[in-house]
Amino acid sequence: MYSSNKKLKQFAHPAEEEFAKILDFYGIEWVYEPRTFPLEFDEQGNILEAFTPDFYLPQQDLYVELTTLKTTLATHKNRKMRRMKELYPDINIKLFKRREMNNLMVKYGLDRSGDSTLNTNNQAE
Amino acid sequence: MEHIRVITISRQLGSLGWEIASATASNLGFQFYWREVLNKAAQRSSSPEAALAAIDELGLLGICPSPKICLAYRQAIEQVMFELANIGNVVILGRAGQAVLRNRRDALHIRLVSSIQTRAERISCRHNISLESALAQIEASDRYRRNYLKRHYQICWDDPTLYDLTISTERLSIESAVAIISQAAGNTQELPETTHQAPQE
Repeated sequence: MYSSNKKLKQFAHPAEEEFAKILDFYGIEWVYEPRTFPLEFDEQGNILEAFTPDFYLPQQDLYVELTTLKTTLATHKNRKMRRMKELYPDINIKLFKRREMNNLMVKYGLDRSGDSTLNTNNQAE
Repeated sequence: MEHIRVITISRQLGSLGWEIASATASNLGFQFYWREVLNKAAQRSSSPEAALAAIDELGLLGICPSPKICLAYRQAIEQVMFELANIGNVVILGRAGQAVLRNRRDALHIRLVSSIQTRAERISCRHNISLESALAQIEASDRYRRNYLKRHYQICWDDPTLYDLTISTERLSIESAVAIISQAAGNTQELPETTHQAPQE
């Protein structure tokens, strides 16, 4: 049900690892960076710009891109998102602005490095 | 006499709800629906983020779909539930099934509860977390589920009249709870069209 090789994943950003941990906690299946979408081409058809969303959630058929609250980065990603929607209108994609989750994760016991809460499918209860 | 064709199960976090719901479905030869309801509704209403928000009881993902999306999503959930109920022989876990399907005469509404201490111990053991963290999860989950019913259906989660049967899993085993529900499902008569007035109790 879950990404089977997550232990081997090398996330580009700690926020992505944290997000994956939350998805695992809720029992939400995910795949990390499974697909790259070309966004801009030159006259010869070569790809000039592409976009690789951070996660794909198959059960929800949703691509997720994480961003920080930094305005410059969010603006850049928003532009890519708009371009994505122009070129791939049938693709569901959502930009998640990552808040600081550490306090909540500590509170609920999800912060431990051993990851023993992973794959527990909390909401099954 | 018509047997029950739909069982809705409302449960507290840590009350063994998923285990009992799935085992009941298996015992009766019914189909078991849980997350499938959410995901079907998300597809139908084209609002996958709403499904994530619905799953995110603890608020860890920080998703806040617009009121318009929430309404479309909730309507889609109800539509999916009605369709499943019409197919029949289904056990539906969560998502306010006791409210959405409350007027169906072929539905049996079950509520599963346990003491907060027992629930915390189960969650703590299951996830290998502290009792304090388990209690925090339980409080957040209870608040979320209570508010969901209150906000969308104007009902109190704890109102016993919403349920045909409330089972405490404090001491009963999963097998015992399944047997009780299965027996109730097999023996419950369809209610008559007109409600009979009972004598003053």
